[in-house]
Amino acid sequence: MFENFPFIGLIETVPAYNSLAIFFDALIVKNNQSVDITAFEAVKLFAEKRINEIETTLLLPGKTVHIPVYYNGEDLQEVASQHQLSEQEVISIHTSQTYRVFMIGFLPGFAYMGSLDERIATPRLPSPRANVKAGSVGIAGFQTGIYSIPSPGGWQIIGQTPIKIFDKTKTNPCLLKAGDVVEFKSITKSEFDKTNEY
Amino acid sequence: MSIKVIKPGIASTLQDAGRAGFRNIGIGSGGAMDLFAMMAANYLCSNDAYTVVMEINFPAPELLFQQNAYISITGGNFEPMINETIVPTWTSLFVKKDSLLKFKQPISGVKMYLAIQGGWKAEKWLNSSSTHLKLQAGGYSGRTLQKEDVIEFAITNSTPIKNEIIPHQFVRNQLEKIYQPANVIRCIKGVEWELLEETSKQVFVQNDFYVSHQSDRMGYRLKGSPILLQHPTNLISSAVDTGTIQLLPEGNMIILMADHQTTGGYPRIASVIKADLPKLAQVKPGQPFNFALVSLKDAETAMIEMQQVLTKIKTACQPT
Repeated sequence: MFENFPFIGLIETVPAYNSLAIFFDALIVKNNQSVDITAFEAVKLFAEKRINEIETTLLLPGKTVHIPVYYNGEDLQEVASQHQLSEQEVISIHTSQTYRVFMIGFLPGFAYMGSLDERIATPRLPSPRANVKAGSVGIAGFQTGIYSIPSPGGWQIIGQTPIKIFDKTKTNPCLLKAGDVVEFKSITKSEFDKTNEY
Repeated sequence: MSIKVIKPGIASTLQDAGRAGFRNIGIGSGGAMDLFAMMAANYLCSNDAYTVVMEINFPAPELLFQQNAYISITGGNFEPMINETIVPTWTSLFVKKDSLLKFKQPISGVKMYLAIQGGWKAEKWLNSSSTHLKLQAGGYSGRTLQKEDVIEFAITNSTPIKNEIIPHQFVRNQLEKIYQPANVIRCIKGVEWELLEETSKQVFVQNDFYVSHQSDRMGYRLKGSPILLQHPTNLISSAVDTGTIQLLPEGNMIILMADHQTTGGYPRIASVIKADLPKLAQVKPGQPFNFALVSLKDAETAMIEMQQVLTKIKTACQPT
């Protein structure tokens, strides 16, 4: 939104599903104001002006990425029982559609994807786990996502992918970006072990 | 030109002011938890404000100086000692080769900053020397300091500092504006404030809360009376920032700190104002405090005032 039209004091933006967070240096923004309004109000005016200038929203399809998953997650049984499904049914539903990457956030390279079939949509855990392994595939409400690095987290874990979603040594460390299309594929334990990049 | 780590302390890291521009791939700012103390430490060593410093917790490290150096130690107070003699904090110090720096006991605060003239030699990753512990990138090999580590100075010759060894009464006089009153943390209402139950809004501003021991550079978990939403809710995740106060489902709050995640799905009930983040960073686990709600205008005014204090310190430290 501001890539080609930055305002003085802009630091960065974080797009999400239905929001755009604008990070700015309030001191710089304020020093560039002739009127006595807060930096927040000034940035709000910039943003509203830009929104009015943007006439159409183009949803360009991104690349399609196939992600193998060994569905052995610690919450798979819980997700299945909350919906009166078998574990196999949860897996079939999760792999039967494609997902759009809506945003990258929470962790380096963590892709929020959706929208999940309502038959397996499950709320987050009541209290986050202290440690979730990298490669864990999870569900939170109507979202699905992959833990790119080990982290505390509250998503219901249904499986593990053997492929690296984030690699700090790469020029472009993120495998996925907003707009990409993801398709999950169920793999066996031996396939997982053979291809495990972690 | 280096120091040697004799004892590593707990989670000592190299930090600067953090990295900007990578939140859209999920990489937050990181950097020193108490940016005010970090910048003041640098000014006291005639450094640029954002020069890399060492962030120290208690138990603190023991460091052997392998060369002469000009240093400063700011933030909380763990009674730093050079060769067993307690030295003042928030001032410039000259340290002779073969001196041993250690810390006696935690008197106040939980973070100290050790700046050295010219800064520490550190790895840069995504435009910052801050240690990204999770990704093991930046700082000193992307990790906390270990015994036997040798940390090089970024420059080879120091220039004498104007206020060498004289306690900086001027700097100390400024500290009250930043760190007092220690038991009041100012915040503004968050995007999801209105989702709170009316009684919980009262509880938030009236009751005492304290930081639990389950806290780290990612976030300070709070203990106290439970805070409740009017209705249980599942939010669509969106951006969060340092100082964002999230409400966890069981009714406890977490305040996101320097190494926080970039987005989250828990209700953002309030945000600690930028000017009070240094004070918050120094809150000891178990030490009670209150939240005070302020307007956005007051939050910005407080931030300008903090900047003015830093400018004063910078001016006072400049060679005449």
